[in-house]
Amino acid sequence: MKISDLLSLSFENLRRRKGRTILTIIGVVVGTCSIVVMVSLGIAMNVGFDEMISEWGDLTQIQVYNWTGNTEVPKLDDEMVKTLASIEHVKVATPLYRPQYLNGQLFAGKNDRYQAYAEILGIYPEAAQELEYQLVSGKYLTEASTSGKKLPVLVGQYTGYSFTDTKKRGDSAYRWQGQTDARGNPLDPFVDVEKDKIYFKTYKNEENDEQLSYELDVVGVMLEDYKKGYITSQGVLMDLDLIKKLEKEYMRANGIKDANYDKQGYSEIYVKVDDVDNVEQVEKAIKEYGYETYSMSSERENMQEQSRMIQLILGGLGAVSLFVAALSIANTMTMAIYERTREIGVMKVLGCKLGKIRQMFLLEAGMIGFVGGLVGIIVSYLLSFVLNYFGPMLQGAIMMLPMYGSKMSVIPLWLAALGLLFSTAIGVVSGIMPANRAVKISALEAIRHE
Amino acid sequence: MIKVKHLRKVYRTGKEKVRALDDISLELGKGEFCCIVGASGSGKSTLLNQLAGLEKPTRGSVTIDGENISEMNENQLAAFRQKKLGFVFQSYNLLPTMTALENVALPLMFKGVPRKKREKLAKEQLKKMGLGKRVRHKPTEMSGGQQQRVGIARAFVGKPAVIFADEPTGNLDSHTTVQVMNAILELIREYQITFVMVTHERDLAVCADRIITLRDGKVLRDERIEHPQKAYILPEGEQDSDLDDHSWDEEPDKKKTDTTVELIGQIGQTVHRAKTVQESQNNPNEGNSKGEQGK
Repeated sequence: MKISDLLSLSFENLRRRKGRTILTIIGVVVGTCSIVVMVSLGIAMNVGFDEMISEWGDLTQIQVYNWTGNTEVPKLDDEMVKTLASIEHVKVATPLYRPQYLNGQLFAGKNDRYQAYAEILGIYPEAAQELEYQLVSGKYLTEASTSGKKLPVLVGQYTGYSFTDTKKRGDSAYRWQGQTDARGNPLDPFVDVEKDKIYFKTYKNEENDEQLSYELDVVGVMLEDYKKGYITSQGVLMDLDLIKKLEKEYMRANGIKDANYDKQGYSEIYVKVDDVDNVEQVEKAIKEYGYETYSMSSERENMQEQSRMIQLILGGLGAVSLFVAALSIANTMTMAIYERTREIGVMKVLGCKLGKIRQMFLLEAGMIGFVGGLVGIIVSYLLSFVLNYFGPMLQGAIMMLPMYGSKMSVIPLWLAALGLLFSTAIGVVSGIMPANRAVKISALEAIRHE
Repeated sequence: MIKVKHLRKVYRTGKEKVRALDDISLELGKGEFCCIVGASGSGKSTLLNQLAGLEKPTRGSVTIDGENISEMNENQLAAFRQKKLGFVFQSYNLLPTMTALENVALPLMFKGVPRKKREKLAKEQLKKMGLGKRVRHKPTEMSGGQQQRVGIARAFVGKPAVIFADEPTGNLDSHTTVQVMNAILELIREYQITFVMVTHERDLAVCADRIITLRDGKVLRDERIEHPQKAYILPEGEQDSDLDDHSWDEEPDKKKTDTTVELIGQIGQTVHRAKTVQESQNNPNEGNSKGEQGK
């Protein structure tokens, strides 16, 4: 007996009992729908969390702190940073060093007409790229560029706007992003960071202290990205060694003494991991050294933990209705067997093997499951669309609605495929008992059956 | 072809034992037409079921074409039936959802014959049975005689070695009995098929090569008929005027496209036929002339 014949026999059997078949299929549709839609709510919640978190910060970045004066925790010095950088899956580890003592301001224009208070941080030169600071122009810092008189720096995209005009008062002393003149033309900042000469000049603690002045060499302009911090907007990034050198020169010039200066470690460093999924593992390894860490990933873990629970509850609710659908498939098939006892007997007498009879019934049950699942998934997509469309409106009315991201229900392809597979499997499984019953029917009894 | 050795079948009903078959030994040759007759309860259906492997014997063995079917399991039996056996049932046992063609092709489907080939074979078989125009009809759209002819076509389509028939004409009137019996006779002679038929009408047995009479589960008589009737005709007293009425086989009148008209016509005919049968029984001499009017 050929598969195609078996299929058409089963299909014909379902078709001739249209009403009952359709009712059973509707049961499966409802079951599949409820499970798929419920899970899709959970997935949407996760997607929403991710959207939310990635807006807050970089998911593959770990911040490592050493604030506690705990002596058991090793010093977080350059040596230690190197050690952390050698942990598996770590792309780079670098401090973002904020000098304790260095005090100064940026100046530009004739007679230092334009001034800016900009944050200057020190970084390992090669790390800027690894930390994924994007550039709008220029190039990254390199080791070689630290020599020479000018200070090579990366500046934020809108560092130019941080300059104020000392010769003006009120609003006209400032320029800001998106500012336009009376005609609506955009206004440039006072200083073009790439063309104009910019100096960094230190403050004098006392009148007779020496004022240090350095010219900046802007090698690149970083793309503003709030996930990376304010530094990419209006900050200045410099080689860590260079900034330390400046700080020491400043300390000497102003008579500041700190015996521990060279011995102290960093209070905060950044570790970049190659993939979101490895963050947890790396974070754990760092914690073993005794440091405190913070990452968006650990936040994400917590949130996912929550949503997993919710998904489980929702999925469970859905599963109940699919279970009911399974019962109704079993019932339909059992009824079919009572009706077709004679037919089964005739088939047996005419030489149909037992296996084929079993297959025929399993196939019928499987078809109900498959068709129900298919329709169920189509309906689920429709429902999902409706939920996403009206979700925001509903959310205003019902505060309980779980909606964290832009979508309320997300059905990825794998969920659709899984739903279909599951419903078909449920169909086949609930057909097993009736099919075995059909096989056990005695041919003779069946023919006598009136 | 068929060897039966010391066949015994005992049914248990509660504490009572009923010996349906008691030590039966038989041998049937190839192409033999054997009628099993006997009163009801004599065990003839039980014997048929044992011969066909539909029931396991309590003791003894049945060997068909050299294979002992008493020792086969259900799947082996199914495979064996596919290859060697055909069945005709009293109540036709056609699958109601299938057309005549599909019903006839069913055993071939179980054998794994491709659709086109099996439908061609089934169609040929149906044509032979005079049902060439009815291939697309469902059983419910056919008369009893037609249904049984579909059943016969189904039994013969695979050209089995042995065909078993359990009261194949039991549900038919005398007129269709003649049609059906003659159709069977023609086919078994043509294909040299061993044919085993159970009937309680001794009259039917006149065409058989052999008549086995059972009583109380034992062979009462085993008669061989040297020159069996070539065709079956109704015995004296049951003459039916409509014997030559082939209106059922004929295609419905092309002008009468309305099926209801056709149906009413058929019903009318049947009613009329029933009447003439009654009348002819009351007055056999007048039967012929009245029957002619009914045409």
